[in-house]
Amino acid sequence: MALPGFEYALPVLTDPFVIGLIVVGTIAGVLVGALPGLSSSMAVALLLPFSLYLDPIPAIALLSALYCAGTFGGSITAILINAPGAPPAAATAFDGYPLAVKGEAGRALGISAVASASGGIFSVLVLLFAAPLLARMAYSFGPPEYFALAVFGLSMLSSISGEQPVKNLIGGCFGLLIATVGVDLTTGIERFTFGVPELYDGIHFIPVLIGLFAVTELLSQAQILGQEKISVTVSAVKLPSWADFKRVKNSILRSSAIGTFIGVLPAEGSTMAAMIGYNEAKRWSDKPEEFGTGSIEGIAGPEAANNAATGGSMVPTLALGIPGSATAAVILGGLQVQGLRPGPYLFEEQPGLLYGIFFAMLLSNLLFLGVGLIGAKVFSRISLVPATLLWPTVFALCFVGAYGLEQSLIDVWVMLAAGLIGFGLKRYGFSPAPIIMGLVLGGLVETSLAQSMIIFDQQWTGFLERPISLVFFALALISVLNAPVRGFIRRRRSR
Amino acid sequence: MRHQDSLIGVCLIAFCAFVLWLTTGFDEVPAMLSQNVPPTFFPRLVLAIIAALSAVLVLKGLRKERQRHERIERSVFVTAAIIAVAGVLLSFVGTFVTLCLVAIVLPLAWGERRKHLIGALALGVPVGVYVVFTLALGVRFPAGRLFEAML
Repeated sequence: MALPGFEYALPVLTDPFVIGLIVVGTIAGVLVGALPGLSSSMAVALLLPFSLYLDPIPAIALLSALYCAGTFGGSITAILINAPGAPPAAATAFDGYPLAVKGEAGRALGISAVASASGGIFSVLVLLFAAPLLARMAYSFGPPEYFALAVFGLSMLSSISGEQPVKNLIGGCFGLLIATVGVDLTTGIERFTFGVPELYDGIHFIPVLIGLFAVTELLSQAQILGQEKISVTVSAVKLPSWADFKRVKNSILRSSAIGTFIGVLPAEGSTMAAMIGYNEAKRWSDKPEEFGTGSIEGIAGPEAANNAATGGSMVPTLALGIPGSATAAVILGGLQVQGLRPGPYLFEEQPGLLYGIFFAMLLSNLLFLGVGLIGAKVFSRISLVPATLLWPTVFALCFVGAYGLEQSLIDVWVMLAAGLIGFGLKRYGFSPAPIIMGLVLGGLVETSLAQSMIIFDQQWTGFLERPISLVFFALALISVLNAPVRGFIRRRRSR
Repeated sequence: MRHQDSLIGVCLIAFCAFVLWLTTGFDEVPAMLSQNVPPTFFPRLVLAIIAALSAVLVLKGLRKERQRHERIERSVFVTAAIIAVAGVLLSFVGTFVTLCLVAIVLPLAWGERRKHLIGALALGVPVGVYVVFTLALGVRFPAGRLFEAML
């Protein structure tokens, strides 16, 4: 059976420039993922302003390749120095590092590469089939349905890091509030511009993004200066043996399905997928007692799940314009800055772009398997680059990225302010991802609400007559009330 | 002692009240556009939700014990000061000098003492930015008032 959309993607896949960018994005992704503190979200955020100099297809293909490979790259440092390169790889360290300490770092990296690639490929195949179907369903959506869908997407923020649901929701609303800065499109009235002409168009997305992800991390790295990183020596990285493969294949399959499903849910990303993938691998394992001491299933489970979430998260992002994860929100922002609005009409108008992205992700997943197996030894050394040299370079990229798009110093100040605020917020349990989600969705939420109110003649009750909206509102309510209700039940039981 | 979340919640409610007050200063909507949703509507709706969630945060914080945070290291304040000064310097001495200075001062502040590496970074970062972004991508960076006055 031929893969859907292959004919649209063919020009992309035969373009040496695009292929070259996918290779560069994959290698850069693995490298960035391998550097502690540099996550794929941050890498995509830093690269986004420069990708705008490219046409949409190579630009988004590059970002997507970086996303897939960066998620895998995080496992290298998790295994070798017990410091996950990015949050999704945290669960990999539970068993990856103990296995490396036993002198089997090459085996751990091999399992990780194969599981990651399998999860990633599985999810891209799901993306290829599911995204067009979802987009077709969304044809019947009007402003009320889009508003309800966006509310559902934002409500899912309450579960992205289980401990801080209220703070995540506040973060999402804070992003919505930032999105209201500028001239109101329906009335032409200035809002929160304080007479600064540069703010008439609103606060630009890219400087906030770079500030919240990269400058915040720069300050966080300043907090942990001097922490010693002890690296485990890597022998040759090898493919899993047949016995290893037989042992982990069920974990890979299960986690690929779990990761893809979690990725499809708006706002849920790789970190949660990896944690659930790890727990499920342990629950179904014949040797659960080995978990935490260097179980290969404990590596395969989270790695397959976190990479499967990358493809999954692109399903709602591209089909509905609702980001499936923080990094997908950045890519969605990139599409918007390129003048594209993801959703059903994009499938009709730009199939080449969408299928190009899908196949770029597929290619990247195949590529990082090779890159990971061949280059892990080199990447493991890169992870020891001193922070004192790495972060000034990152700062230069932050500055250039924030300034470059509009060539405005106000954007540099916005980036610096976002970084300082982000550090303060992070310290008190607020994550930057919900703010970015709110900021990206702000325009859609306000516009669709305003259009809905006009359709309903300013009567809120109009939403009650739209069944699809009601379903999304009900899902939003369930998602917001889920944590407090479960907490209440737990407290009642413990009494 | 109560959990910090209570204080954060109170601060957020105060912030919402302040921003709500700002919305009262928005211009009047022209009569011909008055059938649209007013520009204050959405920000006020969002503020109301933030305030409600903040109230939940206050209540939850009252039930929790105060959490001890690790002290903010001096290096964080120094780093924040360096990047803030860099932001100011940009207007005066321009991009490349600022990036060069950051590439010297930041590693020094973080304890790097290998002069050859700092030198390579101080040279490499601005040259790299110039080659990739100015020459290849055509981004024009601010030269700074000082150099503009000299030219």
